[in-house]
Amino acid sequence: MKRARLLLAFAVLSGCATRAPEPGTSVAEARFDTLVVPGRTTRAELLAAFGPTKTVKFDAGMEAWLYTSPAAAGRSTELVLLLDRDGIVRKLRKRPPYPTDPAP
Amino acid sequence: MRRPVSRIILAALLGAALPARAQTAPDASQQPTPAADIQTVTVTYTRNPVDKSYRKMIRGMERFAREHALAPQAALRFRLLPRTPTVDMHGITLRVIGDHIGVPVTVAPDNSFVLPRNEQALQEDAAVVANRKTTSMTWRAQVVTPGLPPGTRRLGDLRLECLVGMEAGLVSNSSPLFGWISNALTSPEQVCNSPDGNFLFFTERPVFSVTLRAGDRSEILPFRFLYAGGEQTRDMLPFCDCQVLLDRTYYAPIWDRSWPDDTLVSFDYMDDAPPPQETTP
Repeated sequence: MKRARLLLAFAVLSGCATRAPEPGTSVAEARFDTLVVPGRTTRAELLAAFGPTKTVKFDAGMEAWLYTSPAAAGRSTELVLLLDRDGIVRKLRKRPPYPTDPAP
Repeated sequence: MRRPVSRIILAALLGAALPARAQTAPDASQQPTPAADIQTVTVTYTRNPVDKSYRKMIRGMERFAREHALAPQAALRFRLLPRTPTVDMHGITLRVIGDHIGVPVTVAPDNSFVLPRNEQALQEDAAVVANRKTTSMTWRAQVVTPGLPPGTRRLGDLRLECLVGMEAGLVSNSSPLFGWISNALTSPEQVCNSPDGNFLFFTERPVFSVTLRAGDRSEILPFRFLYAGGEQTRDMLPFCDCQVLLDRTYYAPIWDRSWPDDTLVSFDYMDDAPPPQETTP
């Protein structure tokens, strides 16, 4: 019984630990730079230009969206957007791949 | 202090397993049960299982003393944080309660506190109890080196917060399964020294980006380090003590020793300027 409980626990834990994060939709960074302007670009324009992607919605009505852009050596740059309650992009940040990042 | 928690849990499980009819009022036509058939169980005291153990929290304080080199300039406080949307985080009172002892604990306006050491409370295996439903709040250790630039944390402080928090049993994930796994299979070392430890930290305001800086090295944390990995669904959130703090939640790479303890962790918030009066999370 004890062994079974331990196996169950390991299975649950390993499931949590190994679940790969859902990637953001891959887009061309140059096109992204051209089309996305904080304070102006809307949710509908993002969907029309790049399609749906990974999002996190918060109780306060804000949303964080993650797109990615291909970079060297099979890695990717993260393109993260903050949308306000009205669906307008408020902030944008880019995270380049770092040498210390785990291999893809 | 005796706490037959296992008996209570067993009773709860049996109760849940009974058909609904068995839990309704008895039919008037039923014959009275002979007194001799009634089994009486005396429950002397049942601690709400989400309350914090005084002994564990003291062990957390002892851990802080042993590992103080991680944050040599910092003092230890504990902090109460909201866990449910409706909890009122103002006017919280806190007491250490044993069989024959009750020790008030002063709670600061930011809901942080220092836990006094009391030998009698230790002997009585006292509980640390707040005047709120215990599932409505979560708890963390607070280790802050004085004099840091505004809006920054220090990685060594966060490392110590994790060790103390785990040693003290502060994380309030409410799923019984989560709790059982946590107690059975995780130690402070396993959680705080592993990339899969998933110990959650909270910022003061909704966060958009987190950057680490150590000397000439600077890196933005990846998206999966924010908002509990961005994997929490509406159904999962109530089981996470990040339930109402999701937009303030981040993982710090406390397990990665290539970042020294003096690494500065800085935050770009969703709002650009803090509100006129900083609110308590």
